[in-house]
Amino acid sequence: MSNRNLIAKLLVLYGLAGLAVPAFGDGSVIDKIYHPYVEQLEWELEWRMTHENENPQTGVDRPQTHKLGLGHGIGEYLFAEAYLIGQRSADDSLNLYAYEVEALWQLSEQGEYVVDYGLLFELEKEHDEDIWEYATTLLLEKEFGRYSTTANIGLIYEWGDDIDNEWETSLALQGRYRMSPRLEPAVELYMGEDTLGLGPVLMGMERIGALQALRWEAGVIFGADSDTADYTLRAALEYEF
Amino acid sequence: MTRLAGIILFLLWLPTAWGKTPVFEVEIRDHLFHPEEIHIPANTKVKLVVYNRDATPEEFESYELNREKVIMGGRKANIFIGPLEPGTYPFFGEFNPKTAQGRVVVE
Repeated sequence: MSNRNLIAKLLVLYGLAGLAVPAFGDGSVIDKIYHPYVEQLEWELEWRMTHENENPQTGVDRPQTHKLGLGHGIGEYLFAEAYLIGQRSADDSLNLYAYEVEALWQLSEQGEYVVDYGLLFELEKEHDEDIWEYATTLLLEKEFGRYSTTANIGLIYEWGDDIDNEWETSLALQGRYRMSPRLEPAVELYMGEDTLGLGPVLMGMERIGALQALRWEAGVIFGADSDTADYTLRAALEYEF
Repeated sequence: MTRLAGIILFLLWLPTAWGKTPVFEVEIRDHLFHPEEIHIPANTKVKLVVYNRDATPEEFESYELNREKVIMGGRKANIFIGPLEPGTYPFFGEFNPKTAQGRVVVE
């Protein structure tokens, strides 16, 4: 890949910037672990969901977040996706909460360096409030035979008339055993200002035709401090075509 | 956590291997891999340079090698694999899975 040294230096600067930003992101950061790879030409229709038993910050009973996304591998190293985000709880029905666009930039060929790396850029706007969020997340992955470890290190900025402008950070880690295409067990850790959780996740892929596949993920993340829900169920279903 | 991130990123800057990575060339022609069987050394990272001589795209895919890479028509792609234990690792072309099949033999 071209400009590799420049990119590596920018990533180091990004890491150094992270050293100066000790805060974590507010709200739960339990969602999904991103991998630093792009599949050119691929279309992806995606649904993701998280369900907490209770939000300890707000006291809301059984809050859920649903994401519906459509993405496309628009280049050899670039994938773009747009989402509609909805929320519901035990007391409220599902309603539109926010919009989001994201771009994933693969920065190294898989297996080329000690660690595979990429960047994820996300921009989110809440539907009913003047709250914006921009995040840049460094995606790292390392393969050890049939095991893979992945880290997502996020630097987030929130701004708008309805929120205090602030910088935040997040960290998500995944250890995965590539047992078979249909079933891969994993363990995930999430850290943020109001999140510290760890739990098991299962995932797999089923081919349903020429150039078509269903990928799924399901897991439960257990809260490890008083700010995190006792448990968060998370699920994802992707139709690739 | 952020200090750990800084250390990880610094390590990224370091060269990954001091030696040269062996290169093996593969062609896709008429929706077939040539050669179908690629012999590579055990416990060594290698670079496969895959040339797609067809006009249509093809995808080099292998769960066993943990690789998926689309190669557009008339283009080439670099695919790094290994270090691997001795054995046979199948791969196929997802756009033409019935014809485009091959294997990497590690010995």
